[in-house]
This record gives sequence, structure tokens and C-alpha cells, in this order.
Amino acid sequence: MPKRKLDPLPSAAFHILLSLADGELHGYGIMRQVEEQTNATIRLGPGTLYSSLQALVEEGLIEEVDRRSTAAKGQERRRYYRLTSSGRKLAHSEAERLADLLRVARAKKFLKGEYV
Amino acid sequence: MSEEIFAFLLRLYPAAFREKYRDEAVQLYRDRLRDESGAFLRARLYLDMLVDAASGLPQAWRNSYAENPAPSFAPNVEATPSFRLLEKEKLRPESIAIGGTLSVLALFAFGFLISLPAPFRPLPASGGKMFPIESVLERLNRTPSPASDGPVSEGAGTAGYASASSGAPPSQPSRSGAVAVRIESPQQIDAAERDRVIQSVARNMQAHYFNHDQAQHASAALLALEHRGAYVAIVDGPDLAARLTADLRNSTQDVHLIVDYSSRPLPAQPGAPSAALSPALLEQYRQAMKQQNCAFEKVEILPGKIGYFKLNSFPDPDVCGAAARAAMQQLNQADAIIFDLRNNGGGQPDMVAQISASLFDHPVPWFNPRANPSAIMLSPAGSSLAKKPVYILTSTLTRSGAEQFTYNLKMLKRATIVGENTGGSAELGVFHRIDDHFGMGIPETPIANPYGKPDWELIGVAPDVKVPASDALATAEKLVLQRRNN
Repeated sequence: MPKRKLDPLPSAAFHILLSLADGELHGYGIMRQVEEQTNATIRLGPGTLYSSLQALVEEGLIEEVDRRSTAAKGQERRRYYRLTSSGRKLAHSEAERLADLLRVARAKKFLKGEYV
Repeated sequence: MSEEIFAFLLRLYPAAFREKYRDEAVQLYRDRLRDESGAFLRARLYLDMLVDAASGLPQAWRNSYAENPAPSFAPNVEATPSFRLLEKEKLRPESIAIGGTLSVLALFAFGFLISLPAPFRPLPASGGKMFPIESVLERLNRTPSPASDGPVSEGAGTAGYASASSGAPPSQPSRSGAVAVRIESPQQIDAAERDRVIQSVARNMQAHYFNHDQAQHASAALLALEHRGAYVAIVDGPDLAARLTADLRNSTQDVHLIVDYSSRPLPAQPGAPSAALSPALLEQYRQAMKQQNCAFEKVEILPGKIGYFKLNSFPDPDVCGAAARAAMQQLNQADAIIFDLRNNGGGQPDMVAQISASLFDHPVPWFNPRANPSAIMLSPAGSSLAKKPVYILTSTLTRSGAEQFTYNLKMLKRATIVGENTGGSAELGVFHRIDDHFGMGIPETPIANPYGKPDWELIGVAPDVKVPASDALATAEKLVLQRRNN
């Protein structure tokens, strides 16, 4: 039994899960969304992006959406992705884990100022 | 960065990944190219692609390996055996070439490794010595006599040359009570035997070698070498014998010293001197010689009045003396004599002397390293052969007593040697048995050489006219005719 690829969850995968929180996106859309939500500090390249997507699909955290029937002609080759319920659950628990970390960091005076 | 370069980067990804995401990845790259114009953004894009290749590639390969045990996510509920295709893509020629090369290299490496000498480790069950059946046979092969089994067992050496062909008397008298079954014993030796042999060789040297100073020196050198562990790695009987021989010769500069290994057990009593042959054995030998015409294969006069004598041994004169005289008498009709020793492995020094004596009309200094003294004067036999030119045909099989004949006549300038360098075995030392497998030859008296040159031990006798043995007779005949015409 191989070690699970997404345990712990890599930050790229977490960002992808977060980017899909508001709805379905294709690869480029995910990349742009991640760029936006990280203030342009993370730009996922195709290799990282699609590897992460593949892993997430295999783990059942996201799923591909068949949008070809409704897609415009130029978008036929694009695959759209959306969160599954277990993906949403994992993203939630990951956020909570990070929040816990944040509380600890704050208690240790690593972070100052307002609650984020 | 052009799209081609990006497409090349994509080729580095696993096949399954490319198949699924290639088009989308290219599309994503195009989208970014479209959206990110301007020098800074472009440069950033290119950098992104490189960084992405560095981080995305390992991840993609990890994924592609991990996707094989997919059953964990889709358990086979019916628990029936199933067949899964691990890799759909065909093997590329490069992969086949690399795999093939590596396989061949591995094969050669393995072959090389098993060809390396490995120290012998006896099976635990064999008690470190031999298999039960071998030990039984070994005991049966020993003489029933309570002869000393000590490491140094004394015995007189043989007086005659051992003959490689059917000439000399059998050197191992058959013993009543000994079982005729013999098997090849393993040639491996253990540390105890090695130590015993080395100690015996050193003791035998001191006890028997004619030069006491050198004997002391050689045995001390041997023991010092053993003390330093020089022999520890030797596990093979023949190897040890060869190494000890080399070391003895190195310390003494005497090539007549030899340590020998016999894979067959040596007789408990060393070969009896021919003089002491029992009457029954002598009769046996006489019969054998008569049947073989004393190993005188041919005595004839070739065209051109060339006497040709092919003898494959120098047999005991007590048995074959008359036959040898008759042969020489017959050769008297010729004007030149060719002795064909190409297949002569040796024999009795007395016969060598008898035949040689008829080739001289005056006494000559004679070298017989087996006798003491080794240098004597040989009296002529009073024969008309003395004035006739003599040719001797040699090969690498010409050994021992045949070499003595060749060497002496060459030194006395009495014969022209035609053929190949002779075998180079004088075996002058007196044989001493060390144990069942090891023995050694030690010269017990100084060997005086009347000709003042090295004898033929190891180096053989060089021909005057060097031709392949198969051409020797024709060459000699030609030489006879040339000489006659001059």
C-alpha cells in the first residue's frame, strides 16, 4: 500500500480545493484563481497543476465535469473540475488545522495584530 | 520560449499523464502567452515554466507510479482474480537498447564474479576433510604395512629416468593387498596440511640438500615466508607445490629442486630402484620390452645410405643391451646416422651411455647427472660408426634421458640437432615422499658438469637447426645430402 499522495495535503492541492469552492473551473481558470487568492505569489505551472488535479481526482476529492455538450466550440478540449463532498470536507478540516496552527502561532507571539 | 520547447518539456512527463493532459497543458500555456504580454511578464512566464518542470515532473511521476495500486480505491468486491495492464505504451527502441545493454553488462559482471577464485570451504558434514566414500577408498589404497606415516619419510630415489613412453620398468610395483580402486582426490588442502608440508620441505632441505649452507638459508627463508603469511591464501595442492618450488629455487638458484603434488596418493614406499626390481617384475619388464622390440620402433637404412634409428626409450641394457648392439651393427652399413628421439621420453642412463659409446673412437668426458660422480670418462665401444656424421631429431616430447643423449652429443660436437627445443626435464633430485600427495626432489650430491654449461633442466636442449618436429626428418636427410655434396 503506497503512502497516500495527499497526506499531508500539499499547499498546491489545498489551493486548488479552495479555488473550486465557488464553482467549477477548468485548468487555466484554476491557475488564475489560485494566483488571485494568493496575491499572485503562487502561479501553478501546467506540470504541477495537472499532476495535482490528477492526484485529487484519484483521491476522489474533486471530479471532472462533462461540459463538452454545453461548451463553446473553442473550449472543447478543456476539462472542468468541481469539488466533491469529501474534497469539501478535507478542505474544511485542512483550514481548521491551519487555523489551529495560527492560534498557536499567535499565542506564541509569532503573529501580532488583528484576527485574520 | 516557443511552444515547441514547451511541448518537449511535456515529453518528459509519464505517458499516462501526457495522454490525458497534454492538450490542456498546451492550451494553458497558450492562454498565458496570450494574456501575459510584455517583457517582464513573458520572462516571468518562461521562468514559471522551468520551475514548474522542476517541481511538477517528480510529482507527475510519483502519481503515475501510485496510480497502479488503484484497487485500494476501487476494491474488487467479488474478490475474483483480475488482470491489470500496468503500462499501455509500447517500449521505445531507446529503452530496449538501454535495457539490453544493462542486461548484458550484468551478465558479464556476474560471469566475472563467479570466475574469481573463492577460498575453499569444506562442507560441514565432511568434517573438513573428505567425503566418507573418499576416506574409505583412501584407506584401502594405503599399504597395509605399518610404515611410518610421519611427515618426513625417507627413501632412496630412483636411479633411472622415468620414461614417458613404454620403456622403463613400472615405477610403482603393484602391491598385494592394495585395492586397485583409485579416485581423484580433491586437490584442496587445509591449513594443517599446508603447515605440515612446509615444515617437511624445510626439514628435508636441511637433511638432504648437498649444500648445507644453502639448505639452512633456503629452509629459513621458507619458514620466514610462512611466518609472514605468504602461503595462507593457497588452498590448492598444485599451487602450493609450484609456489614452494619457486621459493626454493629462488633461495638456492638451483633449478633441480622441486616440490611436486600428485592428485593420486603416492605409494607409501617410493618407487624402488630398478636394481632392486624383484625377479618377477624384471621378467614382466623383459616380456614387455621383447613385445615392443625394446621400444626401438624402426632401424633401417634410408635411400642414400642414411641410417635411421627411431627409438622411443633408452631401455635397461640388462634386458635390451643385445638388441641395441644389433641395431647399431645394422646402422654400420650407413654413411650417416639419424637418431629419431622425437617421441622419446627417457630411460636408463646406462643405455644412453652404451649407445653413445659406439659413436666415439676415443674416451670423452661424459655427463651423467644421475650418477655420483656425475662426470666421468666414457670409453669408446670400438665401432666404425665413430667417423660417421650423426643427426638427432628432437621435439618438445624429447625428455629426460633422451635429453641427456642429445645434450651430451651436442656438447661434444658429435651430433647436429634438428627439430624443436626439447622438453627440459632432468629431474635429477632424489625423491622424498612428504605425505600422500606431496613429494620433493632434492639433489643430494653436487652435480659436476664436465662441459661447464647449464644442463637441460627447465630450458631443454636447443636444436642446431630449428624446424617443426614434423619436418625434422626431411630436413635432416637434406642436410646429410648437402654435406655429402660439399
